[in-house]
Amino acid sequence: MGARWTVARVLGLAPDAGSARAARALARPGTWSDLGSTESLVWGKCQGSAREPYQVTVDLNEPAFRCTCPSRKFPCKHGLALLLLWAAGGGAVADLDTTADFAADWARGRQTRREPSGEPDPEARARRVAERESLMSAGLDEFERWLFDLVRQGLAGVRAQPARYWETAAARLVDAQLPGLAERVRSMGAAVHARDDWAPYLLTQLGRWYLAVRAWRGRATLPAATMGDLRAVLGWSRRSEEVLAGERLRDRWWVLGLRQDEDERLLSQRTWLYGEESGETVVLLDFAAAGNALRVPHVLGSVLDGELALYPGSPPRRVLLAGEPSTGTGDGLPVTDTIERALDLAATWQAGNPWLSRIPMSLGAVTVVPGDDGDVLVDRDGTALRLAAEADVWSLLALSGGHPVDVFGEWIDRRLYPCSVAVDGRLVSL
Amino acid sequence: MTQWERLLSTAVVGTGRRNVPADVLGGLAEVDADGPEETVLAAAAVLGAYRRAGWTPSRWREPLPEPSGVDERPVCSDAAAQVLELLLSRDIRVDGGNELLVAHWLRTCAGADRRPPAHLLVELLRLATTTTALREDVRTVTGPRGAWLARHNPRWAWAAPVDTADAAARFATGTRTERLSILIAVRRADPAAGRRLVEDTWDTEQAATRAGLVDALAVGLSDADEPFLESSLDDRAATVRAAAAALLDRLPHSRRAARMAERVRDLTPPDELDAAARRDGISDQREHGHGRRESWLIQLLGAAPLGDVPTDLASAGSALLVGWTRAALRQRNEDWLAALARVRPTPELLGALPPEKATAIVAVESTVDARFAGLLAACPGPWPAKFSRDVVGRLRKARTEGALTLAFGALAEHLHHSALPAVEDWIEATPIDKRARRRTLRGLAHALTIRSTIEQEF
Repeated sequence: MGARWTVARVLGLAPDAGSARAARALARPGTWSDLGSTESLVWGKCQGSAREPYQVTVDLNEPAFRCTCPSRKFPCKHGLALLLLWAAGGGAVADLDTTADFAADWARGRQTRREPSGEPDPEARARRVAERESLMSAGLDEFERWLFDLVRQGLAGVRAQPARYWETAAARLVDAQLPGLAERVRSMGAAVHARDDWAPYLLTQLGRWYLAVRAWRGRATLPAATMGDLRAVLGWSRRSEEVLAGERLRDRWWVLGLRQDEDERLLSQRTWLYGEESGETVVLLDFAAAGNALRVPHVLGSVLDGELALYPGSPPRRVLLAGEPSTGTGDGLPVTDTIERALDLAATWQAGNPWLSRIPMSLGAVTVVPGDDGDVLVDRDGTALRLAAEADVWSLLALSGGHPVDVFGEWIDRRLYPCSVAVDGRLVSL
Repeated sequence: MTQWERLLSTAVVGTGRRNVPADVLGGLAEVDADGPEETVLAAAAVLGAYRRAGWTPSRWREPLPEPSGVDERPVCSDAAAQVLELLLSRDIRVDGGNELLVAHWLRTCAGADRRPPAHLLVELLRLATTTTALREDVRTVTGPRGAWLARHNPRWAWAAPVDTADAAARFATGTRTERLSILIAVRRADPAAGRRLVEDTWDTEQAATRAGLVDALAVGLSDADEPFLESSLDDRAATVRAAAAALLDRLPHSRRAARMAERVRDLTPPDELDAAARRDGISDQREHGHGRRESWLIQLLGAAPLGDVPTDLASAGSALLVGWTRAALRQRNEDWLAALARVRPTPELLGALPPEKATAIVAVESTVDARFAGLLAACPGPWPAKFSRDVVGRLRKARTEGALTLAFGALAEHLHHSALPAVEDWIEATPIDKRARRRTLRGLAHALTIRSTIEQEF
């Protein structure tokens, strides 16, 4: 994926000074919806004077513009404004894996007209990748200086800093095409105030961020899996075609748990799968810009018989569906562990991927014990695992009735976030 | 101090003010780092990963809580559960409130001797915590699992069964609210034991508490309580005497009822009230629209046992009708209630009658107006099929807009599903510009459809 353009480069495309001025005025996130970008496309909808918002798409390769507005200027102010928003970084136009339908339709139309050559100019592409890498390297150098400065000041001093301190650092990372790292830094601004254990938490995260800086410098020698983990941390996404062309795994995949998250910009959905033959636990990620619909989730407890494409990385790996699987019905969780064994597995995974923070666990025969100072799950061995404060312990209690049940959940930062529970051989979502 | 703690204390203060501890990694790993900041960050990366991967869980040493008892009732069908889920999540909405249909669902479920799936229990308990009218039904339907859950959550205390085992000890020492809930629970299970609880501590109770305890005896009230209530008519406190009299009003075989029967033998207002009548709770309080002596008569009649219904009931005077109505409601005397309702139907009388009798009386009302709607709204359900269809037809022919709106809740709740085509027909015939009416009718059709779905799925 190429680096984002500069404002000057965008304005250089304006047909006249009036268009440039009008585009600047329009380049505010408020008038836009459904914004997004991939390696080659930027798109969004702009509320103009018409009832329906204008659909604006830009193909960065040429560049080529498309807008549903009636203007005869080319490119029109909407296309320019969209590029200005994208170029400014700041998170308004997120890097997405999936393209909005209207943009994808147009791009496909162009593609067929341009066929059969298909693949865009490989030289131009290598140039864009090189551009991006140098931008990222510069961004990480600057980030390292910021980290050093932070450690010199001390964590206590940093905690007294206003929210802007974190937001500015995050915005710089976005500008340097490091959105993954940016998100981690941005959310720390709230975490240092919200968490009791803020100091050890911050120090741990600083260590992980610094590790990403060092790993980037040594990327030439990194194994492919670790490079995959690093790219995920930094937020350098992969095109789905690239993933589909890579490693694949056919299996009967049990749908263990579903989880949706939402922030002001992005909806995300994780679908945890377990392969009956391979014994691999993998995750499907879906994203949609806020306000849009996610892909229809797979049915919890069903079994997908088919092939998955694996993202480069360490286990538990991210995957894509390769083709339409056939769907069957499972009965509960295919395998379960004791808490000790699940933690052993977690340790193995963490040793492989030092940035791993969300760990799937299938726990067998655990009893839910509500408590005034936190709820816990206790397994047959008498080992206890803390439930997250946000967990819906009442539903878990209602479903289990105080009897031992199998629970699937995500273990994050020493707390379990339960996703599903097996009741009478059926998985129920929490 | 562990290596991690030493590293953390340096990091908190800052490398600008404190030196990095020597051998910060304690030989765990070789880190290639130049300055102090680099060392701290690199050590944080190594020790952080070490701590994450090496973390060990704690042991649970206390006994695990007692699991919930078994609910023998089979779980309801998936389709039935789905209707309830949609009603609870408000993914389907019904005019007049979803609670109405939830109540219908709960009663149908209880009638079919089924239980809802466990994942809906929490929502049911939450809903009935705020909508208290649903509590009894929710308690029944959620069964032992619901009661078990409620014991773990103080907000659902209303659904938790009161443990009657050591009731006496807890009744003697609890707060006023606790004591009342214990008493009510014991009365439900064993009324005599409940009365004994009250009698045991009676002499040491304060007046306000005594009145509350007497009120609580309304649960499980029977003639066996009569001696205690009779003696309470001599209580020092007026509130206790009034509470006892109010309960005795409901016991036509009591000594007080016999005294009342004596006082009203010739159905004429007394000239004076003697001390004995005042002891029995008759006061100088005026009844609305009646003089002093007639007011006494009304009170006396309201507390006297009811004999046979007189054949000339329709020609009885107003004071007699008011007094008898009161007695009929208190004694739940169906013959009298029906006879009185035929003479002069009121929502109160209809509400106390079984559905067939109540609807039969409303069916012969001649005009469809606000009063009719009020009576209709008071009729308990389920309504018979023919009556339901007739009511829809009559409402449709009526000139007034108001009757439909006033009776909407009752129609949605009680109308027989065979009236649905009539409602749909009415929607068809309603002009587009009558938006409010169309909306109301669509809401009604919607509610009827869901109700018949509920019934089909059980």
